[in-house]
Amino acid sequence: MLFVWREALAGLRRNLTMSIAMVITTAISLGLLGAGLLAVRTIDRTEDLYYSLIAVQVSLDEPTSAEDPDCSTPVCRDLRAQLEGNPLVSSVEYESRDAAFARFQRIYAGQSILQLVRPQSLPATLRVTMNDPLRGTEIVDQFTGRPGVRIVVDQRSTVADLFSFLGSVRNLTFGLAIVQTLAALLLISNTIQLSAFTRRTEVGIMRLVGATRWYTQVPFLIEAVVTGVVGAVLATGGLVAAKAFFLDRVLSGRLLANTIPPIGMSDVLGYVGPVLVVVGAVIATATGYVTLRLYVRT
Amino acid sequence: MIRLENVSKVYPTSTRPALDDVTMGVERGEFVFLIGPSGSGKSTLLRLLLREDVPSGGTVWVANWNVGRLARRRVPRLRQRMGCVFQDFRLLPNKTVGENVAFALEVIGKPRHTIRTVVPEVLDMVDLGGKADRMPSELSGGEAQRVAIARAFVNRPLVLLADEPTGNLDPETAGGIMTLLERINRTGTTVLMATHDRQIVDSMRRRVVELSSGKLARDDDRGVYGTVR
Repeated sequence: MLFVWREALAGLRRNLTMSIAMVITTAISLGLLGAGLLAVRTIDRTEDLYYSLIAVQVSLDEPTSAEDPDCSTPVCRDLRAQLEGNPLVSSVEYESRDAAFARFQRIYAGQSILQLVRPQSLPATLRVTMNDPLRGTEIVDQFTGRPGVRIVVDQRSTVADLFSFLGSVRNLTFGLAIVQTLAALLLISNTIQLSAFTRRTEVGIMRLVGATRWYTQVPFLIEAVVTGVVGAVLATGGLVAAKAFFLDRVLSGRLLANTIPPIGMSDVLGYVGPVLVVVGAVIATATGYVTLRLYVRT
Repeated sequence: MIRLENVSKVYPTSTRPALDDVTMGVERGEFVFLIGPSGSGKSTLLRLLLREDVPSGGTVWVANWNVGRLARRRVPRLRQRMGCVFQDFRLLPNKTVGENVAFALEVIGKPRHTIRTVVPEVLDMVDLGGKADRMPSELSGGEAQRVAIARAFVNRPLVLLADEPTGNLDPETAGGIMTLLERINRTGTTVLMATHDRQIVDSMRRRVVELSSGKLARDDDRGVYGTVR
């Protein structure tokens, strides 16, 4: 077994420039794959975060809003009973006009918009928390136009833009990762062929002495796997660096703070890193194996 | 040990067969010279025995292997039981003398401690005891060929095939190689040697099989190279 490792390392040294190119390409493709995985993770987490907060708002019309501090008018009581009886709904909370105004003052404390808003411009609202946040539109459809209802808003539609942005970031990184992986595959395949070609005399002698095909080819396979694993390790390092020097700053900046949950070091090292190592090793092995089967005869 | 039955070999690029209906046998422990001019089919015959090629017709037997019909994955097995020596030595250039010999044992999976004891013994046998750490490029032709013989012999093959092993060597060095091959033959190893070297064949007085244009021309028990040349 010592023999094959020695041969593999000698092979990597022999084509040093090629090996470096191979490692870099592999690292970039795996890095992009890792970025995609992190994006998926962030999207999931952002969705969790928002879905626990967002609700369907059933705003009441002016007369009801004006005279009802605790949802005791028949119109409001009726709406509330219907919402609570709906199987899609998990809970309903009533927010009177005064409570809405108080919350508004809290949110926009110290800002000039506060001067422009009177309690009269805010409606009383039934805040509906859904069992399944994705089905808010059904409540919108059912309650729009009911007596006493001014408008029904599914808050999910306001965050949909954010999710579609994150989704395209994810798709973009995966797309680049696929193209880059293809380049890495071809490079690995090519390097193995080159490596096998430069060593064909040697391998021929080994075969004459009775070495099995497997015995002479394992070093090439190990070269490929080492490339894959080293590439994955570099990619993980790159992601850690990108997180520390770029993402952390952007996500904690004024624009995105508290909008997108931060990516933890454990996400990179505990989840993406191992995945990349496995993917890198598997892809490199598969490429090496196929190349040896198809192109290397000796 | 070796048996060829009506063996023919036609290369696709050639109109004339390299071997044409050759039938012959070699018994266990024999020493046989295979002679004939260049292109007479000597090398082709050796290639068929090693399964570097398959015969176009007929059957090649080595021990109990039907060599021509051997499954590809069984070929290493066959070769592990045969030793081969070539005119151009064919040593692994980036391995030391010791590693070259050890390689033949490594491929058959011998444990490391066995390798460590057997390799020096064999190198002593070929008078290269002190040169285990040399690289092949540092050796003279005679030394290189003795390393090749050591490698061929180290796993005690059934048959030793030698394709013009003295072709690149001066007569004196060649004589040393022949002594070595004879010594190996005396251990019971069958030796089949293809050669051009009239002097060697005439001095050894062993069985001589002559090929001419791919046909078996002569098979003498204690032969000489012959006069027609």
